[in-house]
This record gives sequence, C-alpha cells and structure tokens, in this order.
Amino acid sequence: MNAYTVKNTVSSDKVIVADDMLLTKELPTAAGSKMLDGYVSLFEAEALTRATAAGYTLGGKADVGEFSIDLLGETSKNGALIVDGVLKNAAAEIVKSGDAVAALTLDVNGSVRRAAAQNGLVSIKPTYGTVSRFGTIPVVCSGETVSILAKGVDACRDLLDAVAGHDDKDGTSHSDAVCDAMKKDATHAKLRRVAVIASMEKGVDGDVKEKLALATAALKENGAEVVTVDGNTVSLARAAWNVLMCAELCNNVSRYDGVKYGYRAENFSGIDELYTNSRTEAFGDLLKTAILFGSETLSTENYMKVYDKCQRIRRVIAEEFAKLFAEFDAVMMPACSALAYKEEAVSENRHLAFEENFYTAPASITGLPAVVAGGVQLVGKAFSEQTLLDAARILTKEER
Amino acid sequence: MRYETVIGLEVHVELATNSKIFCSCSAHSFGADPNSHVCPACCGMPGMLPVVNKRVVDFGMKAGMMLGCHINRTTTFDKKSYYYPDLPAAYQTTQWFAPVAVNGVVEIETSKGKKSVRIKQIHMEEDAGKLVHDIREDTTHVDFNRTSVPLIEIVSQPDLSSAEEVEAYLERLKTLLRYARVAECEMAHGTMRCDVNLSVRPEGSDKLGVRAEMKNMNSIEAIKRAIEYETARHIDALENGTEVLRQETRRWDDIKGKSYAMRTKETAGDYRYFPDPNVMPVVIDDEWFDSIQRSLPEFPEVKRDRYISEYGLSEYDAEQLTKSIALCDCFEGAFEVCKSAKDAANWMMSEIMSILNARKMTYDMLQINGKSLGELILLVSGGKVGRANAKKILFAMFDDVSIDPAAYAEANGYVMSNDTGKVEAVVKAAIEADPKAVADYKSGKEKALMALFGKCMKELKGNCDPQTLKTILVEMINK
Amino acid sequence: MDRETLRRLEMLNQLSLTEAQKDSVIAFFADREKDLEALDAIDTSSTERMVHVMPIMTVVREDKVVQAFSREDLQKGAPETDEGYWCVPKVME
Repeated sequence: MNAYTVKNTVSSDKVIVADDMLLTKELPTAAGSKMLDGYVSLFEAEALTRATAAGYTLGGKADVGEFSIDLLGETSKNGALIVDGVLKNAAAEIVKSGDAVAALTLDVNGSVRRAAAQNGLVSIKPTYGTVSRFGTIPVVCSGETVSILAKGVDACRDLLDAVAGHDDKDGTSHSDAVCDAMKKDATHAKLRRVAVIASMEKGVDGDVKEKLALATAALKENGAEVVTVDGNTVSLARAAWNVLMCAELCNNVSRYDGVKYGYRAENFSGIDELYTNSRTEAFGDLLKTAILFGSETLSTENYMKVYDKCQRIRRVIAEEFAKLFAEFDAVMMPACSALAYKEEAVSENRHLAFEENFYTAPASITGLPAVVAGGVQLVGKAFSEQTLLDAARILTKEER
Repeated sequence: MRYETVIGLEVHVELATNSKIFCSCSAHSFGADPNSHVCPACCGMPGMLPVVNKRVVDFGMKAGMMLGCHINRTTTFDKKSYYYPDLPAAYQTTQWFAPVAVNGVVEIETSKGKKSVRIKQIHMEEDAGKLVHDIREDTTHVDFNRTSVPLIEIVSQPDLSSAEEVEAYLERLKTLLRYARVAECEMAHGTMRCDVNLSVRPEGSDKLGVRAEMKNMNSIEAIKRAIEYETARHIDALENGTEVLRQETRRWDDIKGKSYAMRTKETAGDYRYFPDPNVMPVVIDDEWFDSIQRSLPEFPEVKRDRYISEYGLSEYDAEQLTKSIALCDCFEGAFEVCKSAKDAANWMMSEIMSILNARKMTYDMLQINGKSLGELILLVSGGKVGRANAKKILFAMFDDVSIDPAAYAEANGYVMSNDTGKVEAVVKAAIEADPKAVADYKSGKEKALMALFGKCMKELKGNCDPQTLKTILVEMINK
Repeated sequence: MDRETLRRLEMLNQLSLTEAQKDSVIAFFADREKDLEALDAIDTSSTERMVHVMPIMTVVREDKVVQAFSREDLQKGAPETDEGYWCVPKVME
C-alpha cells in the first residue's frame, strides 16, 4: 500500500491532503473499499471546498482502511501500510513527510487519533456539528467528525478555522454564531483543572504510561491541576459505541449493492445474487463482520435490549462528562494502548480495532471535542477547541 | 353463519410540493423522462445529507389537522432497511417512532348512515422509485424520478366493514386533502395508493380473523372488487375449509379478478428501524403550529351551509358544489367577478356540469378559472354576448384555460350588435324572402314567427338580444 | 449467535461468508456480548435515549427546486444502463 491513493503535483506552501473518506470531484474516492474502486463523486466535501476557499491546495488523497473503521488503515483494498513491521497510517505518513501541512480526515472510529498519538502529531476532532459532514462517506453519522491532523498546533488551528462553520446542506450543522464562538478569535478559558479517569488507562503499555506521566507533569508545570477521578461509566463507551457504530454502518453501506455505481460481480443470476455476490466479493472481512453485528443489534428482537440500551448508555456517558466538566476543563486519557502496532497484532486479533477504540469511543459517542498531542488525548467540553489546542501546545513543547 | 369483514386501510398520498422531501430535485415525476429528476442523494450515492423540505412538514400537519389528528409537536424521522432495486440507498427514511399526526377521526356517510373511522397515525416518508418490466425481457429498468418524492401514509384503525364504506372513506380523504390543497389524490396518477388489510370473522365476534394485506389496486373500482373477492375467499375458507388462511401479503390482479399471495423471501420481515441521526427532530413551535392552523380551509359542510345562508343557494346546489374544491374555486371566483351568486351557481350547475358530464370528467378535473367564468357571465348579463355563443366560449375555455372570454368573443365574432339598423335590415330581408311565413303568422300560426326568428338569429350569428330581435320582427311584420 | 441465525443474517444483508469467516464472526459476536454484559449493571430505565449528541435546532429548507445534476453524469459509473434507466436482472413481484 502507498500512503497516497492519488497524488497531485502542486507547489504551494498550503498543501493539504484529504483522507479517502472525503469526496473529491476530480480525484476518485474509494473509502479503502474494492466496492468503490475508481468511484468519482459529482461533488466534493464541504470541508475541502472551504479549505480551498481559504487558500489551501489539495495535494492528494491519503488511503484509509475500508470505511475507516479499522486501527490505522490496514484493511484498505490496497493492503496495509507497514514500515519495519509496524502498522502505519497513510495520512500521518504524508503529514510527517512534510508533503502536506495538514490532513483533513473523517474520524470514524479513532484511527486519526491513534495515528496522531503514535507519530507525535497533533489532531483535533472538533465538536460534532461544527464542521460540515456534507461530502463525506457516511459510516457512523451520529458521531463521526471531520478532523484535522498536523505536525503542530498552529496548523491544526488554522485549518480548523477555515473549515468550521454552518452549512445548510448538513442538517446537523451548528449555526454560524455557535461555530464562530469556538474559532481562534474567540475568547476562551485557560486549562486549569484536568481530570484523569483511572479506569480509562486500562491496558496501556509502558510507553503510553510514560506519555501520560510526561503530559501530567507538563500540565502541572503550566499551572494546571491534574486530579484522578472516578467517572467509570466513561469506560463503558466502547461497548455502546461498537453497537451504535455497527448499526449505522450496516445501514449506511447497504447502498453499495452493485446496481447504481461501484463494483458489480461478474457472475450472478437474479437480483439477489447480483446483490450478494457483489457485496461478498467487494467487501472485506472486518466490514462484513461489522455489518452483520450491526444488523443484529437492530433486529426486532434486539432493538430495545441492545441498540436502544446503547443510545441510553450514550446519554449516561454524556451526563458523566457533564458532571466532570462542572469541575474540570478537560479529561485526559490515552488515545491508544501502545505507541506502535506490530504487524502481527492484527493478524492475531483481526477485531483489535473494536477493542483499541476503548480510548477513542468516549469522545466519539458523545461528539465532544478531543485533541491528541504529546501522545495523549484531552477530551473537552463542547466548543472548547481553543482551550484544548492551547493545552496541546503545552503537551507538544514538552515532547520536544 | 353470518360473517363480517374487518378492514383497515393504509393510504399513501403524494404531497403536492415542488421539490422532494430530502433533496431539491423536482417532485413532479409523472410523465418525465426516466432519471431526469434525480441527484446523487436520490440515486443512493454517498455523501449528501438529508435536509427536510419545510413544506412537507406543513402539509403533513395540515393533513393531520384535516383528519382530526393530534399533532406531535416534536416529530422525528427513522430509517427502514431492505433491499429492492427501487430503493437506491437500501433504506427508506420514514417516521416510525414519532409520526407527525396521531389519533384522528374521519366521518363518512354511506347508504347505511354515518360512521366514524379512526385514524391511527399519519406519517411522512419518501417514495420509492419505479421499476419498468416491459422494455426488455430479461431486465428490469429502474427509474429514480419518484424516489424521495414526499408521501404521507394515513393508517386507519380496522373500522371499515364493506367496499362501500371503503369507497366513502377514500372519497372523504380525497375531498379533505384536496380542500387543504396538500395533495392531488388521483389514483390513476398514482398520487393516491391504497393497501387494504382485511379479515373476516363471525358476526358479533370480538376476535379478529386472519389478516390479508392486499396491494396493487389502481382504482377505487379495483379496490371494491378486491375487497369483495377477498371477503368471499375468506368466508369460503372459514365455511368450507377450502384453504388454510395465512397472514400474508397478496397482490390483486384486476384483469383476472383474483388475488395472489406474494412471494415471501426467507429474509423478508425485519426492517431494522432506527432513528436517522442525520435528521434532527422537527420541533413545531407555537408560531409554526398556529400558522398552519390558520391556513386550514373551511370544511365542506361549513362551506355548504355558508353557500346556503350567504349566497342563497339551494341545498342541492350547495351540496353538489362543495363536493369538490375545484367547483368551489370556480364558483367563488366567478361570484367575485360577476357579483351574482345566482348567475354563478346557475352556470356551474347547468353549463359547467353538463360539459363535465359530456367529457366524462370528474369534478376535481375542472380547471376553469373562476374569474374567467365570472367575466363570461358578465358578458352575457350585460347583453354583450348571447347565451348560445357564451356556451361556445365556455367549451373553448375547457380546452384552453388561459382564454380571456371578452377577447375570445371579439376575435370570433360573438359580440352582440347594438346596431338596430343592421337587425332591421336582416329582418326586412327575411320577411321579403318568406312571404308565406308572414302570412301564416298573420293567420295565427305562432310557429311561423319562431321560424323567422331562427333564420334572423342565424343570420346575425346569435349576436342579438333575443327580446330585441323579437320586438323588431313583430313590429316589421305588422307594419 | 449460531450458524443458522448467522445464515439468515447473511441473507438479510446480502452477504455470503466462508466457513472460516463464520467462525470469526461468531467469535466477534461473543466478544461483543461479553462487552455488553457490563452495561446491564447500569439502570437506564429512566434515562432518555440520545440519538443526537448536540442540541441543534431543526434545519429545514424552503421548497425550491434545484436540478443540479444530469442523468449522463449520474450514470457515468453505472455497471449497466439502458435508455436512461439503471438496469437489474428481471425482478418478479
């Protein structure tokens, strides 16, 4: 696999890369799936349109795992990106190489945040509804967010400023007034009190522990208080998120059936075989697993017991965060269990992404903003992006 | 044993909006080129997000209010998943958990008297596309023009018990929704479609029988035939054990006059409804609610009573005119211009009705602009156009609703002559040409005068006030 | 999750798994079920479900027609079209 699916030759000091979950008009968008191999959209992602209007140039598309639900992109139709036996993320590699000042990505299941943490990059997943999802490949519409990955805080802040704002074409988009209040000119509080949820550090290795310790020290050095708290329901996010994600994914990818566009099986007899053969041949294992699980959570038998229960758990978690935010400005937690995933880790546990998202699910399921810097994650109050980015500066400085 | 039929209806009505429910494509798909009113959203392509057409909610509320429903002030949209080629995204966005309107009631009247039919709910949803099966033998052709055209589904309680009641109920729905101007409700155009849930039980039993859901009836007549067939089939099964009744979906074949169980796939059944995260709950605030309530039309019965009390119409005329909002519009428009309710009603009840009858048009199909009719009436009452010529103009107006009666009368030589000199010349020529008729008249044969009158009127192309002509004729004969 | 239920689930979702994939999917279901057990301890009977994470006002649009895409463009990537229609094998009703 290459980091790029398509690379443009451009000369500009404001080159960005978009991950392959953002639709582009001139370049194909495959979402890492054989199903959409060569698919060219008739319209582009609103976030890209806004970035272009702000003077950014699209330097190419970064590959993603199939519908971006995996760890770092290893389920792409083009295969995993592996360097020295370690899994890599395409957008992160491009940003690290200096080809692009930042990447615009769709944070579906946390791969962007994991990539940021593992590569010493900064990522901001803004508050749900502040950046239009128009023109993104839909997977988990209730939680996925257009996010930014860059080497430094300023690049994140600038690109976020360019892409955030109300969009009439997205019915879940906040008003301009609300979006403006989180942009860089907005007044914002300094990070004073940070909560750490002990149960959220379950399973992390020594490297991650070290990052957390460094981050804690850096924050304290800058006058913030870091307090370990309860807040255990936050750690339930993964279980509920996996249900909600798979349910929505199942519904969203049902449109790919070999009829209107995309992959169609060569051999079939009758409409059902056309559907089944096309989907069976074009979809990868992890996606199929997620589709089947998601479908089952929505069945008449399971709906209340499983899907609806998880929607309620989502509120329990949101309320837990609200309680924490009454006292704290942010919650610090890991973004991943390790700073590198060995190639074998995925072959041994093909469903690892549904366990590693333990760390990214709390912000995904609540739509809260999350910044990753210095190898750790800070989850903030809605619209507290600037506070989070200020804190990210502290964390990255310490890293250097 | 005596049996009774228990019927509930699911009626789909296409809303008369300009654009589709979640995208901005034209909602007028009838007769359009295939796939000419489509966009990436209604073709099932990824990336576009649904944004609700406000008028769909307006119309959904309006329909609910017309049918006596409670309006849910927070109404939400849900996704229903299944694979079928007419459903491009493999899900339909509909309302499952909080439909726009619930718990209504519709009053109907049949030969057996009045009856209330309870409405369970009205929900808003998107239509599916159309499949064409007869272009190529081995292929089904798919047209997405109708995809995402807004619908409401009106679900009744099982309160109906005969084909006659079903017909009355459907007619009532049509009348009310057309009064509110939210839908055309024309079964022939597919803007009103009806699924019938039917079961049969021994009379007086409080237990429902096995239910069949019937689809594919394209006219009220077909619905009535299907109900009669299905009732007989159920009774035969109960009475004679001809078959074991199963809860199933059946397709009505109107040509064969039979219903058939539809092929049920092993996979069918679980639609996996869940709330659509892309559509925020639609919150209907007081201002919105009130504005819709204020925009509700007079109910047909209120209008009828007003026609009697305010315009002095006969009960019969008022009853007929208020059967269709198209007739009311025409009548009221005509009255506004001609200021004579009596004239306007006469023209509606005689001329308009007879042309509708002659052309086998329903009341709803009347498109004549009431103001134009009013102008035509004024031309007649003002002595500018003779009644016979006015009827010709009215015929022309049926073919072309844009016709201006005065200009048309002018252009076609239908304007009455005020020139008595010309009339006298015509009369003089007629008298001279037929001395026998003159003699006959003078000897007391009234008929002879009428023959002369007819000849003169013909010569004058009808453009003379009959009384004037008659006076001049008698005067000149007696001179 | 057993193989028979899984077979029905595959059909419902127009997928056909190999035997090895089935084992893997069944294991996935088992893992997720274990995850969900932890949720049972939380009483959510009086908690309202949270479909939307942010309190965003309803956005509705005016009823205006915009026809921005042509059939030709929309069908460019279509596997099979004919006379302006998308095509599928004959569907029997």
